[in-house]
Parts: sequence; C-alpha cells; structure tokens
Amino acid sequence: MTTFPAIKPTGRSVDFGDYPVKTFTSQSGKEVRILYGDKRTNIKMQLTFDNITDAEADGFVLHYDYVKGSFDTFLLSGTEWRAGWGGIQSRIELPNANRWRYESAPQIQQVRPGISTVTVNLVGVL
Amino acid sequence: MAKFYTGRDGRLLMDGSEQVKVTNWSLTGNLEVLETTTLGDSQRSYTPGVQEFSGAASLLYYNDDANRNDAATALKNVLKISGVGINDTVDMRLRLVEGNTNHDIRLTAYITTATYGASVGEVSSAQISFQGTGALTEASI
Repeated sequence: MTTFPAIKPTGRSVDFGDYPVKTFTSQSGKEVRILYGDKRTNIKMQLTFDNITDAEADGFVLHYDYVKGSFDTFLLSGTEWRAGWGGIQSRIELPNANRWRYESAPQIQQVRPGISTVTVNLVGVL
Repeated sequence: MAKFYTGRDGRLLMDGSEQVKVTNWSLTGNLEVLETTTLGDSQRSYTPGVQEFSGAASLLYYNDDANRNDAATALKNVLKISGVGINDTVDMRLRLVEGNTNHDIRLTAYITTATYGASVGEVSSAQISFQGTGALTEASI
C-alpha cells in the first residue's frame, strides 16, 4: 500500500510540539532564550482505529513496510485522518505539506475473529 | 392457522429426555456489539461481536412411579462431589409444540446454577440456570 490507509479514526490525539528554543540560565537565575526556527517541531499524533476489519488493519502494516518503517516520510492526504476536526484545517496540518513519518510500528490488537484495533503513532517532519 | 403459544405447548428436553414437571423455561440470546463510530460521525455504529445463549428453568422436585426425578438429575450437574468437568455439558432442547411440529432451540450448555429448597405449604422445586457453549445446534422456531 503506497498511501496511508484512508480510514476515519475513532480517536485522535495531537501533541502540537514546540518551536525550537534553546534556553540558557545563568547562575543568577536569569534566563535567556534563543529562537532557532519559525515553525513548530516535534509534532506528534496518535490515531486509533477501533474495531476495524483485519483486512483494513493489514493496510497499516503494508504501508509501514512501504515507507520502510520510520525512515520515509509520507503525506496524509484526504480528509479521513482529520475526520471530526471542526477547527481550521491548517491548524492540524503540518506546515511542510503535511508530511509525517512513523514514530513506532503500528500496534494491532486483535479483539475478535476478523476484527482488530490499530494504534498508529506519527511524528511530523518539517 | 392462527395460534397463541402457552405453557401447555412448552417442553424441555435434556440429553434427549423430555423433562417431567417443568413449570417454566426461558432462553436469552445475546449479541455483543463492537462500536465502530469514528470521529465526525453523528450516530453510533456497530459491528457484530460474539453471541451467547443462556437460560433458566424450574422443575418440580418429583419422583415418578419408576423413581425418576428429573429435577434431581438436573441438580446433580452442579451439586456433585466430584466437581464439574469439561465434559459435563447438557444437550438442552427448548421446545414449543404445534401439533406434530416442534419448534426447537437446541444448544449445548453447562448448568451454572442449581437451586432447590423446601418450604412449608409449597411444593419443592428446583431452579437451574444454564450457559450455552458454542453455537446453537438447532433453531427451528
């Protein structure tokens, strides 16, 4: 599978990361911060797909293999992944064409014959 | 022909033997459903999970002329010294009769609860509950 499975998640959790800031604290306690970039980094997103078919769950493993695990980045296209988001689209998308990579392998929990729950952890890539 | 079914049409068979002095039986089928509602949906949706079947019956504690006591036999599925083993299942058939036609639900079950007692002014009876294991083996209702 060359694209991320187009399935609506049942749960989505996003950590919007932070701007690259280096903080220097002197012995007196005075703090100086230097901003190294104008984009947030280390954005993480967890998508949960409860009770999907095993065939759909298989799609995540295929895609994970296609992008060589956490090596390649990929585009989250379509609207399925952000289903239910009522805010501004660009707020939840990444600034760099919405490219992500896997933080870890998809976790598949078989809950019934033919039915699985999949959890995917992604990291945003600038 | 239009027909209402009543307790007169009810039968209970255990291991192929029609039980005598049964006063009631009931069966419950339950389907577990798994939620498939996704983000953005306004209505919940589900996919079927696993089923289970369970029921209960009451039998009068009665010895017939041949000293047969179906209530005691049913109770002994639980009230036994040796403990209950994996093979201590019962072939339950819950039947409604319509002339020569039988409307059956048949399942393999474990007797899970056995209750009996004696009270002044009452006929002693036994109550059993059963839990089906596996699929129904017949459903001709």
